[in-house]
Amino acid sequence: MKQKLFINKCALITTLLIIVSVNLFAQVTGTVDSSIYDRLNYLEEQTNYHKSGDDHFMVVGLTTFGYAASKSINNLNGVITSSKSNSFPDGDHYEFSPMLLWRHGKKFLMEFEPSFNNNSLSVNWADISYFALPNLIIRAGYFVLPFGTYNKKQAAGWINKLATDPMGISAIPSTDYGIEIEGGLPLGSMKMNYDFSLTNGLQLNGDGTLTGGNITDNNNNKTFTGRLGLLPFSNSCLELGVSGMFGRVGDIGTPYENVKSNFYAFDLNFVKTFVPILVNIKSQYNIINVGDADYISPVNSAQTYTFKNRTTNGFVQCAIRPTGILALKDLELAGRYTTYSTPANSTWGSDQHSFSIGLNYWLSWRAVARITYETYTGNSTASQALNAFTGTTNTNTLYLQFSIQL
Amino acid sequence: MEKPKTLLSLSIGLVISFGLMTMISMNSCAPTKAIADKTGVQLWSENCQRCHNTPSPTTFSPEIWETVGMHMQTRALLTEKERDKIIEFLKSSR
Repeated sequence: MKQKLFINKCALITTLLIIVSVNLFAQVTGTVDSSIYDRLNYLEEQTNYHKSGDDHFMVVGLTTFGYAASKSINNLNGVITSSKSNSFPDGDHYEFSPMLLWRHGKKFLMEFEPSFNNNSLSVNWADISYFALPNLIIRAGYFVLPFGTYNKKQAAGWINKLATDPMGISAIPSTDYGIEIEGGLPLGSMKMNYDFSLTNGLQLNGDGTLTGGNITDNNNNKTFTGRLGLLPFSNSCLELGVSGMFGRVGDIGTPYENVKSNFYAFDLNFVKTFVPILVNIKSQYNIINVGDADYISPVNSAQTYTFKNRTTNGFVQCAIRPTGILALKDLELAGRYTTYSTPANSTWGSDQHSFSIGLNYWLSWRAVARITYETYTGNSTASQALNAFTGTTNTNTLYLQFSIQL
Repeated sequence: MEKPKTLLSLSIGLVISFGLMTMISMNSCAPTKAIADKTGVQLWSENCQRCHNTPSPTTFSPEIWETVGMHMQTRALLTEKERDKIIEFLKSSR
């Protein structure tokens, strides 16, 4: 009897346990189902909310900041003077430049890069591009001119291999208002690219120098600028380019209105890894010819003077980075030789050379801390009769610089 | 003095044009199969470093990579196919 009672109790307890377990399990299962559905609904809403539309806006930007210390010695007709200077930042290399990009689908792109540099606000470019065909982009606005490669591709501090720009690169007009077409083309196992623009062009100044980027054209002639690039190897390690810029530069209605300028440039870019070293060689040579003109003498405004207005400048730069050696992969050694010659017997004639050597430490693919040492020699070829001769100058400068793109 | 210069400029122009035409004739404008079959990772490693260090795919979101890709196409003068392959690689490798 007792045994039967015990069996009944066990059965009752087991039944109760089963009922309780089933209920508990059912409750848990119900809670999980409900939360999953809630979560899914929430994620669906979020996905819809964040789903990309046709338009997209983004901000990136770059900044470069540094320190420069230099010592300069000048010899003018046997009189030697020397000076020392050091400053934050490193001269005009400082910049803070946010870049704003708007995209509409895959057809339109607006680019705007304001910049705080040289103690003032300016604009590097402000343009709109229409991706008309797979190999054709049409651009309008204020854009970087397709002359050589330095201004368009290598000038940014986080891209450059040294703290300074090559001497004389500022003599090349970098931006202007106009229209542009460009694109890349397959060419069997090679590639080529083209980049042509029509812009307001340059303006001849009273001393024979040129300025560009005028929103109103100073004459009725538009300036043509173009570059053709060829990548002869299938791995794109070498690019050779030839550029030209042609147009009238004189103000209309003045004796200079028929003065023309012809610019030519030749550029080379070679980047290849020879395990374990990444070799990077860049070079550009520019020739600027401006037609003959008589200029008013700064000494006697009743007199004029003239000179052969030809400027040349060029650089060869080589950088090596041991990307295949773990302990050294973030270091890069760079060197550059630059030559810059401005017209003799003008008020700004000179024959200048510089050599720069530097060490980069790459903190990331787009952040670099660098040290650069640069020696400069400048021999004035300016007119003594116009009191413009400045003798010979030797300057040595040490740069410490940090540059980042975010 | 101007005539020899003009002749020199014309000669240089003609030589460059002739050289380009010869190369175009020797190579069809269409890419070879080896070039057309290049993957995004190949194009990423070959083209980005022509100007700057190769970017990490984790730097930007997929949507931002699309915009950056269009910007870079205008700078590096990539073909549209090259751009699309590089961006697809960057988006899928995050």
